[in-house]
Amino acid sequence: MTDDAQKANLTQDAAQGTTPDSASGMACARAEDATVGVPISDDARTQVVFQRDEPRRAIPFPRLKKKVKRDRHKRTKVSVFRYAYYDPAFKFFVEQVLDCDYLQLPKATKRTMELGIQNSSDYVCTPFKHMMGDWIEALELGADILVQVGGPCRLGYYGEMQEQILRDMGYDFTMLNFSHGIEQGYVGWGKEVLRTVNPDIAIPHGVKQLLACGHMLTLLDQARDFYLANGGFERERGVYRRAWEALMDEMRATTTKAEIDAAFTRGMERMREIPLNKPADPVRIGIVGELYTAIDENSNLGLDEKLMDMGVEVARTLNFSNRYTHYHEENMRRTIAEYAEYDMGPTSTMTLAAAKKYAQLGFDGLVHAKCAGCTPEIDCIPVLQRISEDFHMPVLYLTYDTETSDTGLMTRLEAFYDMLAMKKEAK
Amino acid sequence: MSDNAVRTIGIPRSLLFYEYGVLWQRFFEELGFQVVVSPPTDRAIFERGEAASVDEVCLASKTFMGHVAALAEGDQCDALFVPSFDNSDIRVGFCTKYQALPDLVRATFPQMRPQLVTMRVQKASDKKRMRADYLELARRLGANPRQASRAYKRALHAQEASDAARAKAQQETLALLAKYRKVVASDRTGTEQPPLAILLVAHPYIAHDPYIAGDIVAAIERLGATVLFADEADRTPALKRSFEFSETLPWMINRHLAGAVLQLHEQVDGIVLLSAFPCGPDSMFDDAIMRNVQGVPILNLMIDAQSGSAGTETRLESFIDILRFQGKGSYLHD
Repeated sequence: MTDDAQKANLTQDAAQGTTPDSASGMACARAEDATVGVPISDDARTQVVFQRDEPRRAIPFPRLKKKVKRDRHKRTKVSVFRYAYYDPAFKFFVEQVLDCDYLQLPKATKRTMELGIQNSSDYVCTPFKHMMGDWIEALELGADILVQVGGPCRLGYYGEMQEQILRDMGYDFTMLNFSHGIEQGYVGWGKEVLRTVNPDIAIPHGVKQLLACGHMLTLLDQARDFYLANGGFERERGVYRRAWEALMDEMRATTTKAEIDAAFTRGMERMREIPLNKPADPVRIGIVGELYTAIDENSNLGLDEKLMDMGVEVARTLNFSNRYTHYHEENMRRTIAEYAEYDMGPTSTMTLAAAKKYAQLGFDGLVHAKCAGCTPEIDCIPVLQRISEDFHMPVLYLTYDTETSDTGLMTRLEAFYDMLAMKKEAK
Repeated sequence: MSDNAVRTIGIPRSLLFYEYGVLWQRFFEELGFQVVVSPPTDRAIFERGEAASVDEVCLASKTFMGHVAALAEGDQCDALFVPSFDNSDIRVGFCTKYQALPDLVRATFPQMRPQLVTMRVQKASDKKRMRADYLELARRLGANPRQASRAYKRALHAQEASDAARAKAQQETLALLAKYRKVVASDRTGTEQPPLAILLVAHPYIAHDPYIAGDIVAAIERLGATVLFADEADRTPALKRSFEFSETLPWMINRHLAGAVLQLHEQVDGIVLLSAFPCGPDSMFDDAIMRNVQGVPILNLMIDAQSGSAGTETRLESFIDILRFQGKGSYLHD
């Protein structure tokens, strides 16, 4: 019997006053009913009627219409911490992948640092303090969402701690913390993004743009390597820096992979055209160290520029794309098998492998830059000392905390450079 | 390097020895090795470690190097056991220090005579993987599979029994404290003082190291308070509980401590957070505890290689005074 037929039957039953089917919403107790047990004569023209709680039926029609992804939504402002020269990639990620507005932070000031110091525990590693300053400024500028990355050291706990501190300070925001969802890898992160930021991201488009974003990171690092190698030998002072800034501006304006490639090609051409005054055998220094401080100009007080100004060819294997996009820890560790049997920390293998590579390539010296309290990089120091002894390559160890004056740094760098230059001449 | 020539294995009494020492000792003994554990830390050991280390490393790491030096210099052992604890475990991993230890020891003491016996513990929270790692070590040391699995089984049981005994003792202490509190509460004359219980939250290699925290534990006890060690709380429920505290806290030991704090904070009068300078995990964990655990007074102590303990003792004294006054109601009701 179909549902409709049954329903019709029941209405008929009710109309006739006979016992309806138990499936109906109404039920009748007749004289014969054992539960009532009161005899009523057959002449009775009425009946006791009561309502039964019926289990809710499932909605008969499944929702056929698939949820439509909206292409317009309330614009949210997303901010990423300041990190070296990667803000074009962050901007691309926010605008093209997350489909939100990117909040471009102005250059960090002394106030940024002070805000960071005030609101962090004293002896947490320095990037935490820099980022705290960045977040507070971002929230002051109206950010809705803050993006924090995860990592295998203390960095993995940054997001949660910073979120709590900012909430304790009274700010209202959402944090996209890539420490969540890490168990499932990319899938988990994808879910996290959809959940916290924007459920309307068109996934195929997002993935395509994410790959383009990774590509941009690689190109930025490639351009930077070229800049570091040649920037110190420009004939006219400041030309290289201007070319670099122009490249960054063009990168910031890109929206597709093709545009990224075009901007990169143009930028590299401009840099290659700059006339150089490069000696055949310049002083070459490699920079190794911790992922944030060794790269970020704001926190290492312009280490790159300072070295380049002295006329040094600078090399730095350590960068975002080498660490994340194409990184094979085990193979890299094979090259330093005599120094490290185990993976010693997030960037340790890269630090040691790069140091040994520079030594083998005949670099004149090495600068090891890290923030105060960075456990993995501190643990690299004894191993670097061995490499330094074995290859007769001087190493300058720099530990950065929240200082803002670069006088001390300048003195040490100058002395280091003089020593290297004299050593080179004596050869 | 032939591991088969090894007769005596030395274990530094530092860092994770306080977490897995029973297991290690028993494991090597069952495999037929003699085990030498370095003596408890003293000034000489610490100074030796400090001289060998880079300035910036944490106090515990310096102590560890001291123990390695003490074992290496004496002619007591022909191998040193220094494992590497991987932090591939995302939520219950270890500080990168434990990952780097074997290579760090090698780089610090390149001329060291005893060879290193190392292993990689990939996931300390995964019993099966951990067993496989130890069996692999036993195989490298020349044990047959049967010997190896028997040795590991016994060693693990010994470790678990020792942990369980500690946890049980702590429960008994808590029960006793509760009983005393009841007695005092029913005492109408008000002459009896309720007992004070202090939860000492510190990594086990800090809390139980006589050189690093011995003075502090002694000082608290001298001031008439009972010390409960957070790291002695039953580990499995504590780790589970810690996810209520934080989702992304990456370190196992800190999770254990956080879980213990959640379980015990209502049963103690005060909490002492003790960290060795500059401990990476604690630099954030202490802040998290101070922000999240409300209702119990907390004293955050940082210890460095200072030679005198007068400063910390003063702070402890005033802390315990405050707790006593609070127990009476407040300063005003005395």
